Order: sequence, then structure tokens, then C-alpha cells
Amino acid sequence: MDVVLQAIGFVFQWQTLAALAAGTVYGIIIGLLPGLGPSAGMALALPLVIKWDPAMALIFMGSLYKCSTYGGSITAILVNTPGDASNAATVLDGHPMCQQGRGGVALGLSATSAMVGGTIGMICLIFAAPMLAEFALKFGPAEYFLTAMLALSIISAVVQGATIKGLIAAGLGLLLSTVGFDVITGHLRYTFDWTPLEDGVPLIQALVGLFAVTQALVLAESAASISRLARLAGGFWEGVAIYFRHPVVFLRAAAIGLFVGVLPAVGQSSAGLLAWADAKRSSKHPEKFGDGSPEGVLASETATSACMPGDLVCTIALGIPGSLGAAIFLGVMIVFGVAPGPLAFTEKADVIYSLFVALILTSFVIFVIGMTVARRLAVITLLPNDIIVPLILVISLLGSFAIRNEMSDVIISVVFGALGYVMLKGGFTPIPLLLGLVLGEMVETNYHRALLISGGSYTIFHASVISQVLIALTVLSLAGPYLGSYWRTLTQGEK
Amino acid sequence: MREKFRLTEVWCKIALLFLFSAFYVLALPFPEKSRQFPQLLALVSFALTAIALVLDFTRRSAVQAEFSDVDNTELAVLDGATKRVRRKRYYRAWAIVIVSTGVGILGGFFFSALFLIGGFSVLFGNRENVKRNTLAGAAIMLGVYIVFGKLMGVPLLSGLLW
Repeated sequence: MDVVLQAIGFVFQWQTLAALAAGTVYGIIIGLLPGLGPSAGMALALPLVIKWDPAMALIFMGSLYKCSTYGGSITAILVNTPGDASNAATVLDGHPMCQQGRGGVALGLSATSAMVGGTIGMICLIFAAPMLAEFALKFGPAEYFLTAMLALSIISAVVQGATIKGLIAAGLGLLLSTVGFDVITGHLRYTFDWTPLEDGVPLIQALVGLFAVTQALVLAESAASISRLARLAGGFWEGVAIYFRHPVVFLRAAAIGLFVGVLPAVGQSSAGLLAWADAKRSSKHPEKFGDGSPEGVLASETATSACMPGDLVCTIALGIPGSLGAAIFLGVMIVFGVAPGPLAFTEKADVIYSLFVALILTSFVIFVIGMTVARRLAVITLLPNDIIVPLILVISLLGSFAIRNEMSDVIISVVFGALGYVMLKGGFTPIPLLLGLVLGEMVETNYHRALLISGGSYTIFHASVISQVLIALTVLSLAGPYLGSYWRTLTQGEK
Repeated sequence: MREKFRLTEVWCKIALLFLFSAFYVLALPFPEKSRQFPQLLALVSFALTAIALVLDFTRRSAVQAEFSDVDNTELAVLDGATKRVRRKRYYRAWAIVIVSTGVGILGGFFFSALFLIGGFSVLFGNRENVKRNTLAGAAIMLGVYIVFGKLMGVPLLSGLLW
């Protein structure tokens, strides 16, 4: 209880509130820009906050991650373009509402959904994560190794619907994590006598390259700006009133969002679509869905907002990211010295609980911003690509440079940008690669530790019940995509 | 068969096969404990890539056979034109990134940023937008100078030349 009170005190300091507000506004802006999801947003911001206090930096990143989803709903409603795949279901009813002259109502609904869905999700996260973390105390090196394998296999399997390609990318990420000093013997590996690589591939520079630089290059390929804004009419507060007239719909949607969020690697896009489908099925007027139904907007947005805290449950307690954004957030946590897992709740309790309190507060800040300046922020989508692209490149590469004031870091980011671009063009997604890079050291260390304990016998990897369950889940996650259409419906569509 | 070798995906996988082989071979001189993990990974990744490559060749043949009687000449022409434009923009973007990185190494990141903004304005902007792009570029540079140069104390003018 003391920790929670301390966390509340920390969050309400003006510096923390400023970081929270900055993360919220920045996240909404990132969310507004189709093509720039939470992954690229966090990659861009990471070098800027690297010298901050870990708790404050994680609050900034957490707010950014949470708000980028909401930002995407604004463009989904106003310009028929979801900022992120998680807002795909909002387009179905949000934009028709806008075309009918009820865009303000739709924006009011999405802002209220972000507040209510986010708050419900965060309250559940605060209770669920420590329980899960306590269970994780039973884990030994073999279980940790298998947990990381499970995370990699799940992300590889669902991230693009091509398991083998995902596994190849994860393998490449794990291999790249072996560059530099070997944690076991201290031997230098794959550095080619280049000093900047001696401590391994720098995570932030790689992240900046894989997401920000790659995304800038993808945007550079097409001319013109991202969108044209639609006419906005209708009252924001009418949307709020409509929202609270449907308590059953938003509670069901929040439950669906939470459940989907807790499932490892099943994305927010699925949460929105499943909640939309559920609301349609249980509605008295299903025929109105897809034609501007407020229930459709509130169900999809509430589920998406409740999903993000669900994502974080496994990410923080077990180190298994619940989604692509959570995978990046996992990397961010490690960069700031907050290793996910049960010990995080004892050794870094102040940071973790400050993050939780701040994320609850963020839900309300989103609501305030959504009800006041959301429309004005949407103007950013009118910026032409020949301005957005150099802006992204300058900020990301300069951020990479600013970490150690070394141009070698810029070179590393550019090389990873090229790698990310080639991977995208070659039909691979860089997310499993990044996860491999993030988890690589943990995987290798626990692999060697487990073998040391067992005297070199591989039986240790299936000796305990937890290990057997983890192996079964890994096999299931790899075989899942071949099980049929239900799996595809559940897992498809992350950006 | 020749058609398949035009696909980026296929070339990407062939390059990966070489990369994984290189990781395996380069690990040979390492001490046993240091090479065990990367070699195991390289072997598994190599095998998976080889399987994916084989699947590419077998699956694509089946799909192409299904669509062999569909006339898509018009679509192919349009697709080709779009691809050429996008490729041109892509090469330009890369040229700007590489040149600006080189300039940054020589003169400091300030010049790198200047080249990035100027390069994209000149090679990607229209003549009608010169004034707008110049203003936007100046605003970005000012922001960079204030946030990074002044507030964060990043040495923006530190390069090999000075």
C-alpha cells in the first residue's frame, strides 16, 4: 500500500505530469499518422528520453503507447483511414457517422471509450499482474528459456500469418544478439574489431533503424500527404451521453478487450473487431452496424482501449509481450533497467506502480484532449510526405546520435533501417527480429545456466510441469496458424 | 523458374542462407561454449530458410497455374509504371540518407540534418512549394538546434573535419 501511495505522490509531481501530458499528446499525434504506429513512435522518442529517470521515461513511453491507439481512432472517424490496424473496426461505423454529419458524436464516443476502457483495463492490470508475477517465482533457468521461446514462437506465428518467416526473423534477431562480448566466456563474437559493437548491437539504435528509418523510407516511396480531412459536425458531449446509455455494451467490450489483451501476441485489432462483432450480435438493431451505429464505435474503441493494459500483464509479469507495441515496450523497459518478471514487482516496485498509476491518469488526460483539441491535431495528417519524411529521419537519427554522440550509432541505425526495409520488401516483418534481439541475452544465459544445473543433460528442459506446459503452448502456437479460420480471425491484422 | 528469381522475397531468402552460413562458419574459431548457441541458431535458421525457399517455388507454381488463363496485361503495365516511380523515389531517398550520413561524419550532425531536409525538399518537393519547404526546413532546424543543441547539449558540429 505504501508503494502505491508513493507512486501516486510521484505521478502528481509537476515533472511527471508534464512527461505524462507530453507522452499523451505525442502518442495521439503518432496515432493520427497512418503508417506510424506505437512501434515507430516509441522508437522515435526513445533517444530523447534516454537520460530521464526510468520511472518518468517509462511513464512517457506508456502514455505514448496507450494514446497512439486513441489517435488512430480520430483519423478512422474523420478521414476513413485507421491510424493503426487496431482502429480498423472503428472505420466501419465511425466514418459513416462522420459522413452523416455526426463526426463530433463519434469523436466524443471514442474519447469516452478511451477513458472508460483504459480505466477498467488498468484496474484489472494492477490486480492481475502481481498475481501472475508471484506464480513466475517458481520459474528456473529452463522455464525462463522456454518462456522466451514461447514468446518468440507466438510473435513469429501470428505477426504476419507466416510462421516460418516469423521464425527466420526471430532466428536472425537471436543471432544478432550474440554479437559482442559473450556473457558466459567473455569472448568477442562477430565484432570484426569494430569497437561500437563490442557491447553488442545497441538496442535503441537498432530499434530506431528498424522502425523509424524503415517507416520513413516506406513513406518516401509515395508522394502527396496522408489524407484529406472530412467535415466535422455534431456534439462531442452527445457522444459521451450516448456512451453511458449503453453500459452493457461497453462492459462486454471491455471484458473482450482484456481477455484478448492477456492472450500473448493476439493484437488490439482483433479486440476491436471481436467486440464490434459481439455488439452487433447482441444488438436489437444489428442492421445499423456498418452504417454509422454509435454502438459499433463504442464497442470497438472500448475493447481496443481495454486491450492495451491486458497486453501489459504478460509483458511485465512474465516478459511475454502481448502485442507488437508491447514487444517494443518490453525493449524499452530493458533499456531503462527494469527487467520484466516477478522481481520487477519487488526490486522496481516504485517504477512499476508509478507506471500503473500514470496509465490510469492517462485515460482521463486522453478524454480531456479528445474533447478539446482532437480535431485540430488531425490537421497533421495534411502534412506532405516531403516534410514528414525528413522530419522523421532527422529526429530519429539525431536521437540515435545523441545517445553517445557517435556517428557510428547513426551508421548502425541506417544499416538497421536498410535491413528493416529489405525485410519488409522481402515479405518479412522486423518485429520478431527485434524481439530476438531483446530476448537474446536472456535466452542464451538461461540456456547455459540450465545445462550447467543439469550437468549438460537436455532433460532439464522438460523436467517440470511448467516446462511441459510451456512446450505444449509453444507447439500449439506454431501449429495454430494451420488449425483453421478461427485462429486467423483472432490473430490477423497488426501493423 | 526465371520469373521466381525476380521476386525480392526469393532473393531475400537466398541472402539469408548466405548470412546464416556466415554466422556458422565465423563461429568456428570461438571457444566451445561461445560458439554452441550461435551455431545452433544458425543451423536452425538455415534449415527454416531453406524450407521456406522450397515452399516458395512449389506453392507459387500451383497458384500461377490457377491464374494462367487470366489476361492481366493492362494491370501489369500500370503496376510496372507505379513500381518504377516508387523505385525512383526510393533510390533518391537512400542517396539522400547515405550522403547526409557521410556529410555528418565529416562535419557533424548539424550538416547531416541540413542535407536531409534540403535533399528531400529539392528532390521530392515541387517548385511551387519551395517557399513552404524552406520555411518548414528552417523550423525543423531551429527545433533541432533548440532541443538537441541547447537543451540536451548534443555536439551538433563535431565531425572529422573540426
